[in-house]
Amino acid sequence: MNTVLQTKGLCKTYIVNKRQNNVLKNVDLSIYEGEMVAVMGPSGSGKSTLLYCVSGMDKATAGRIEFNGRDIAKCKNKEMARIRLDEMGFIFQQMYMMKNLSVLDNIILPAVKSKKNKDSRKVSEEKGRALMRKLGVDEVASNDINEVSGGQLQRACICRSMINNPKMIFADEPTGALNRSSSDEVMNELIALNREGTTIMCVTHDPKVAARCSRVLYLVDGTIVGTKELGKFDGDANELRERKRILNTWLMEQGW
Amino acid sequence: MNIILLLFIILCSMFASASLNNIYAVNGGIDHFFEVSDAPDIEVTISDTGINDPDGKIEAAFRELPGVREIRTERILIFFSSKYFQYKGEKLDTFVNPAYAASDSEMGMNYFDEDNNVIEHVEKGYFYSNSPFLQNTDIKKGDEVTIAVGDLNLKLTYAGRLKSAFHSNEDSANAFLLLNHEDFETASVEDILHMQDYTVMYVHTDDVKAVEDLAKDYSFIYLSTQESMRGNFLYDMLVAYVLMAISIVLMITAFVVLHFTISFTIGEEFREIGIMKAVGISNTEIRKLYIVKYLAIAVVGAVIGFFASIPLNNMMLRSISGNMVFGDDGETLTLGIISSVMIVIIVMFFCYLCTRKIKKLSPIDAVRNGETGERFKRMSIMRLGRSRLPSTVFLGMNDVASAPARFTIITIVFTLCIIIMTSMSSIATTLQSPSLRRFFDIPDSEAHILDTEMLARFMMDKDPEGLISDIETKLADNGIPGHCTISVNFVENITHGEKTATVSFTSRKGYTENRLQCDEGSAPVNDSEIAMTKTAMEKIGCGIGDKVTAQIDGKTREFIVTGSYSSFVSPGVWLYEGFDLGEQNLNGCIGFNIHFDGNPTDEEVKDNIEKVKDIFDTEKVFSTSGLINYFTGMSETITSIKQMMMILTIIVTVLVVVLMERSFISKEKSEIALMKAIGISDRDIIRQHTLRFAIVSFFAIIIASVAFLPVSNLIMNFVCSMIGDVQGIKCDYAPLEVFVILPAVLLLSAVIGSYLTALYTRTIKASDTASIE
Repeated sequence: MNTVLQTKGLCKTYIVNKRQNNVLKNVDLSIYEGEMVAVMGPSGSGKSTLLYCVSGMDKATAGRIEFNGRDIAKCKNKEMARIRLDEMGFIFQQMYMMKNLSVLDNIILPAVKSKKNKDSRKVSEEKGRALMRKLGVDEVASNDINEVSGGQLQRACICRSMINNPKMIFADEPTGALNRSSSDEVMNELIALNREGTTIMCVTHDPKVAARCSRVLYLVDGTIVGTKELGKFDGDANELRERKRILNTWLMEQGW
Repeated sequence: MNIILLLFIILCSMFASASLNNIYAVNGGIDHFFEVSDAPDIEVTISDTGINDPDGKIEAAFRELPGVREIRTERILIFFSSKYFQYKGEKLDTFVNPAYAASDSEMGMNYFDEDNNVIEHVEKGYFYSNSPFLQNTDIKKGDEVTIAVGDLNLKLTYAGRLKSAFHSNEDSANAFLLLNHEDFETASVEDILHMQDYTVMYVHTDDVKAVEDLAKDYSFIYLSTQESMRGNFLYDMLVAYVLMAISIVLMITAFVVLHFTISFTIGEEFREIGIMKAVGISNTEIRKLYIVKYLAIAVVGAVIGFFASIPLNNMMLRSISGNMVFGDDGETLTLGIISSVMIVIIVMFFCYLCTRKIKKLSPIDAVRNGETGERFKRMSIMRLGRSRLPSTVFLGMNDVASAPARFTIITIVFTLCIIIMTSMSSIATTLQSPSLRRFFDIPDSEAHILDTEMLARFMMDKDPEGLISDIETKLADNGIPGHCTISVNFVENITHGEKTATVSFTSRKGYTENRLQCDEGSAPVNDSEIAMTKTAMEKIGCGIGDKVTAQIDGKTREFIVTGSYSSFVSPGVWLYEGFDLGEQNLNGCIGFNIHFDGNPTDEEVKDNIEKVKDIFDTEKVFSTSGLINYFTGMSETITSIKQMMMILTIIVTVLVVVLMERSFISKEKSEIALMKAIGISDRDIIRQHTLRFAIVSFFAIIIASVAFLPVSNLIMNFVCSMIGDVQGIKCDYAPLEVFVILPAVLLLSAVIGSYLTALYTRTIKASDTASIE
C-alpha cells in the first residue's frame, strides 16, 4: 500500500507565558492509501494539534511531514494553501461555512478557487449538486446556512471537503456537535467515502466513531502510545458492536 | 474592538471640540473683533477736504445729527502708486490700488498689532501696515522702506502688521499705513496733499439713516456702514465656513462610524451575553456592565480627544486669526470641555440604544447571535455558480451586497469626501475661468491697464474719450493697434414710484462690439434704456419694463429697465454705452481694456503686454486671466483649501478604512481561518478584503460624479452672492481633475489603506478555525 501521509520526529511546542509546552513529542506515524485512521486520546493529549500539523494548517516546530511524497513542513504558505485546496479535504466539529454564501456555493467554492480544476463553474455546480444528492442534502442547496440543520450542514461540509477529489480528508471531531442520529448519518457517509478509496484521518473522542475506522492511534501527552488495527468496516451492525467491544477493551488497557 | 472604539471616540471628540470652537470663532469672531476695535456704526469719507470742506462745516453738520454719540476723525494721505515706496533701493511695483496713511495721534478706532495688542502709538520713524502693502514683497519687521514723492524722502522702518476692522487684507484692497504723527505731518507735503487730502469720520450713532440721508447731499462723500465693512472679512469667513463644513463632515463621519462600531462591538459579544443570561444575571446587570465599560472607554477617549483637539483647533483658527482678534482661550477651553462631555453623553446614548437588544433576547437567542453553525443570520445575495466574475471579485462583491448597511455607511463617508474635494476644485476652476469675464464687465480684450496714476488722470479729465483716443494712438504708433475701453461708475439716486435707492451707475466708454450680457431681458440700446442687477431692482421694487428716474449730470432722466444682469464689480445700473455723462462726477473706474487688432496668438498677446508696459511706463498691465485672478484673490484661497481638503480626505479615508477593516477582520476571524483551512491563499483573502473598499469607493465616485456639480453650483452662487450681485453661475470644472485625479486619490487611499490593513489577516492561521469560540 502507498503511504499518503508520513511523519518522522514531529514536534510541536507552544510557548505560553514564557513556559514551553511540548504538545507533540517526536511523533512518527504513517497513514496508507485507503485507510481510515482514528486518533484518540484524553483531552489535551495533542490530537487536534497533530491533525493541524499533518494537514499543514499549523506549522510543526520540528520533524518531517511527508504528504503524498512531499515534505509539507518545508512548504511556504502559498504552496501549502494550494495543497490544502487541491489535495486535502477538511471537516470540523463546528460546521464552519461562509455566511454570505448559500450551502451549494460554500461547497463549490474550493472548486472555483482551485487552479487544478479546469471545470467550468456550471460543471462545478453540477458536481456539487451530485455530491449533495449523494449525501441526501440536495434539497437545501440554495438555502442559506442558517436555514439547515446541524446534520445537514455537516454533510454539506463533507461535500465541500470532497469537491476537489482530495487525496485525504482530515476530520476533527466530525460528529462532536451532532446528535446521535445525525452522527450516525455523517459517519456512514464518511465510511462510504472511505470505501470509495478516500483516505481519512479522524480525531475523535467517541469510541463509536473510532470503531468504524480501520486503525486507531492512541495519543497521550503528545506521544502515540498505542495503535489498534481493526480492519475495514463493512457496515454491519453486529460487526460494529463487536468492534466497539474490542476497542473499548483496548482503550481501557491504554488508560482511557 | 475596544481599542478601535477608543480610537473613534478620540477622533470624534477631537473633531467635535475643534469644530465647536471653529463655529464659535466664525459666528462670534467678527462681532468680537468689531467690539474690541470700538468700530463705528458708519464711516464717512470726505474727499479733497481742502477743497470740499475747507472750513469744516460739513463735518460739523454730521456732528449735529440726532443720534450721533461720537465722531472720531482721521486725516488720510493717499499715495496713488506703489512706486512712491522704495524697498532695498527699488521702487515697489506690487500693489495696484492707492495706499492710505493715517497718523497715530488721530486713530479713529483701535488698531491691533500681530500679537493682538492695541497699538497706542507708533515710534517715530516706524510704521505699521496691513497685508496688501506687503504683497509680493519680502518686507520683514525692521526693514526700511522709503516714501519718495516729489520733495518728500521719508525713511521708515516696518514695525509689523496691523489688524484693523475697517481695512481689508485682500490683495486687491487698499494698503493702509499707520505712521507716527510727526512722520505723518512730514509726509503731508503739498505734492501729496493737492489731490489726496481725505478726511475719514468714524461715526458712532444710533441713527445711521440720518447720516446716510445727509451724505446724499454731497457727491464727494462716500459711506461705509459697519455691515459693509464686515465684508472685508468675507474671505476669512469663507475659509472659516469651509473649515467648519469640513469639521462638521468629519464629526458626522466619526459619529456614524462610532455608532456602527458600538453596535458591532456589542454584536460580537452576544455569546458572552448569552452565557451571562444562562447563569442567571439579569438584563439590567448585563446592560450596566456594558454601560460602565463604554463609559470608561468614552471618558478616556474624550479626554485624549480633548487634548488632541487643541493643536487641530489652533491650526483651523490660524487660517482666520491672522487678520482678526479673537477672544481669550478661556472660551476655547470651556467649549472643548463641553464638546468632550457631549461626546461621552452621545456615546452613552449610542450604547443605551445598542444594548436595548440585550433585553429582547433569551439566553438561547443570545448564544445563537454568535458566529458559527446554525446561528448565522445573514442572507446570501449572489450565486457563485451563476456568476461569471472571477472568484475573488465575486466574494468581494457578495460581501458588499450581503452587508448593505455596513458598506452604505462607508459609501456615504467616501461620497462626502469626494464631493468636498471636487466641489472645491470646481469652484477654484470657475473662479479662474474666462467664463467669469462677463461678471467683471470685461469686454473682448487681451490686456488690462490698472495703473492708478493713469486711472486718476482719467477720473479727473473731463475728456475721457480724448484719453482713450490717446491710448489707441500710442498703441498704433508702437505697432500694436487696438481698441480701448473703460467702465466708469458713479453713485446716484434712482427712483421707482415711492422708492428711492442710492446705487452705482456704470457706463462703458470707448469702442467695443460687445454688449452687456443680460440674465433676463436685453441690454440697453439707447440713452433712455438701462439694465439693472436683481438686488438694485429689489431695492426700488421695479422689474423689467418699468420706468425709473435718476439724477445724472444735474438733470432728471427717465429710463426704461430693459434687462437684468449680474456683476461682481458694477452692481446697480448699467447705462447704454453711448450715454453722454456730461460733467457727471465719476467715483471709480476699472482699468483700461485693450483689444488688439488682428486676433493675436497667446504668445503675441504676451509680447504685446510687455510692449504696453513700456509704452505707458507701468508694470500694472494684466492679461484677462490675470485680471480675473486679481479680482478673485479668493481663487488662491480656495485652491489652498482644495489642497488642504485633499490631505484631510486622504487622512479621513485612510482612518475610516483602517478602523473599519480592522473591525471586519476582528469580526470575520473565523471565516478567514476557514478560508485558509480549505486552501484559499493569503493573497486571495487580502485581495477580497481590499476589493470591498475598492467597490465601495467606486460607488462613491459614481454618486459624487453626479452630485458634485449641483453642490458646487450651490456653494458658488452662495459665495458669489456675497461678493457681488451675481446669480445663476454655472460652475466650470477640469474633467481630468474632477473625474480622474481626485477620485483616484480617494480610490488609492482606500485601496492602499485597506490593503495594508488586510495584511493583518496573515496573522490568522488556518488552525484558528478550531480555537474560535
